[in-house]
Amino acid sequence: MGLTMNEFTVQFIATLLKFAVIAGLCINIPPIMVWAERRVPAFMQRRKGPNRVGIFKWRLYGLLQSAADAVKLIFKEEVVPEGAAKAFYHIAPVFSVFPAIMVAMAIPYGPDIQLFGYTIPLSVIRVDVGFLFIFAISSLAVYGVTIAGWASNNKYSLLGALRASAQMISYEIPLGMSLIPIVLLYGSLDLNTIVIAQSQIWKWGVVLSPISFCLFVIAMFAETNRAPFDLAEAEGELVAGFHTEYTSAKFAAFFLAEYVSMFVLSCLAATVFFGGWQIPFFDIRSLDVLIGIPGVSGLVGFGVLFVKAAFFMWLYVWVRWTIPRFRYDQLMSLGWKFMIPIGLLNVVVTAIVLAVIRF
Amino acid sequence: MVPVEHYFVLATVMFFLGICGALFRRNLIMVLMSIELMLNAVNLVFIAAGRGNSSLDGQIMVVFVITVAACEAAVGLAMVIALFRKYGTVNTDFLRILRG
Amino acid sequence: MFDLPLFLNSSLLSIGVFHFFAAMITIVSLLVVVSQHPVKSAVFLVVDLFLLAGLYASMDSHFIAAIQILVYAGAIVVLFLFVIMLLNLKADSIKGLRFSAPEAAALLISFIGFLIMTFNVFRGQAPEGIKGGFSIEAIDANGGNTYMVAMRLLTTYIWPFELASMLILLAIVAAIVIAKKDKILKSLIQKELR
Repeated sequence: MGLTMNEFTVQFIATLLKFAVIAGLCINIPPIMVWAERRVPAFMQRRKGPNRVGIFKWRLYGLLQSAADAVKLIFKEEVVPEGAAKAFYHIAPVFSVFPAIMVAMAIPYGPDIQLFGYTIPLSVIRVDVGFLFIFAISSLAVYGVTIAGWASNNKYSLLGALRASAQMISYEIPLGMSLIPIVLLYGSLDLNTIVIAQSQIWKWGVVLSPISFCLFVIAMFAETNRAPFDLAEAEGELVAGFHTEYTSAKFAAFFLAEYVSMFVLSCLAATVFFGGWQIPFFDIRSLDVLIGIPGVSGLVGFGVLFVKAAFFMWLYVWVRWTIPRFRYDQLMSLGWKFMIPIGLLNVVVTAIVLAVIRF
Repeated sequence: MVPVEHYFVLATVMFFLGICGALFRRNLIMVLMSIELMLNAVNLVFIAAGRGNSSLDGQIMVVFVITVAACEAAVGLAMVIALFRKYGTVNTDFLRILRG
Repeated sequence: MFDLPLFLNSSLLSIGVFHFFAAMITIVSLLVVVSQHPVKSAVFLVVDLFLLAGLYASMDSHFIAAIQILVYAGAIVVLFLFVIMLLNLKADSIKGLRFSAPEAAALLISFIGFLIMTFNVFRGQAPEGIKGGFSIEAIDANGGNTYMVAMRLLTTYIWPFELASMLILLAIVAAIVIAKKDKILKSLIQKELR
């Protein structure tokens, strides 16, 4: 608590800057992902995909298509369905976006950097229970979906919301259970400590606990309601699920929340299983001294994490265009009868092995 | 540092509101929610008292209270569903078999 | 000169924060109890739990704050909301609200209890508890709040902890048995449908 005036000011401004950068990044994730989600399957299916929209003659591989889409989406007419619970209908997108962006603040994006003689951590919210914080806040995402479905006064919305909330609370358990072995292995709930512990490739989470990694990836898809687990918005059955009645900017907000939570879970997977901002065989934190510019290590660490997260984002798109949708009972039996027992067994075996090794 | 008594007053208010809800709401689910409110008031007292007496036992008690609250909610809601299946209502005015 | 860090560490700010949280919690708790539609009550309950978690975090109990949001807001209230939607409950009508004699007596007694408690608190007669050895400085020196809580929970309180796990197992079985559909009823319905 011995903060001096200067240090407090620097940390305060740094926190504001970090918040602005991360929030800006989160807002820019959906357009890029929408573009990727059209170009990647086009590449897989040997067709062109959107490539026309551009500024004058620069087409940028159709990257501006999603900008055009965003503009179109925001300027559409806003329709509130009759008989909707007005207050809840309007507040549901906030319930959806808030947890997604809040969780993005707790990911460590790089090593602590030294600027002007002050140590600045590269995550906006630094708590010693980072893991629990992420789980706690991301478990609030269910409310956005549920309230949206209930408030729109539409049976398809309600069915979609019920499906989505049942799915999300079911798959939260394997998601949490897959990360308990990691907490046991590295002995900390602080994400930054876990990243620092993964300095070599044989210390990565994916090497030490591959079963955890498999469980995490499956649960990650289910948690974000993405294919092959996108039953909540199965077009053939439920129109569009919980956001059937949403238009314009509110619809865009649900879109934003979905893609941001995908990004956050990708970052978490990279952080926990693939060493976060660390590169094997080289300590990024020594870059500051090597190059001589303070803060370079932070930028490089951020880039490394981003590349690793981009792999998972790509995996999302890849799986979406490869695996058909599950049936609802298959989804539930996969979660409760397969993943939770395996997860429990994984925790017990890891604990026993660790106890034997450390004995 | 805030005096412990302030937390106690807040918890008392919450507990009283919970009692009112549990007594006067006719919806069974609302009764269960009011009970959750009362349990939370108790949690607040545990944590504040634990901190005021520089002890950790308050926080540990809260872990147990949350466990019991989760069990209570699960069993209680299961009973609500069973009652709804049998009688088609969860209004306590109509559930009066035990009243003779 | 206005010294911001000193102000931030002073008791004035923490009391201000507490009063803000206290006012919010009181209002939201009231809304939980008086909202006519159960869904509204459930949403206000989530807000209430979130504010309480903030209060816990301001008392350096980060672990409990996280558990509060994770278990209460993330699981229990979702369950409530889920059941409300599953049963498709409508808003309560205020007309049906009436007092019966035992309820009025219970309210009176609890109100008297409330007055006694508040009075005692303001008189400053709260009994002096046993001072434990875990002041905030001692906790920080020994590895932080989460570590200390875990150590105490898994050594001194290991048997209650195991009992709690048995209780959860019991609750799972009980919930499934109670909410399971009646088999005889089901076969009867199927016979009717045929």
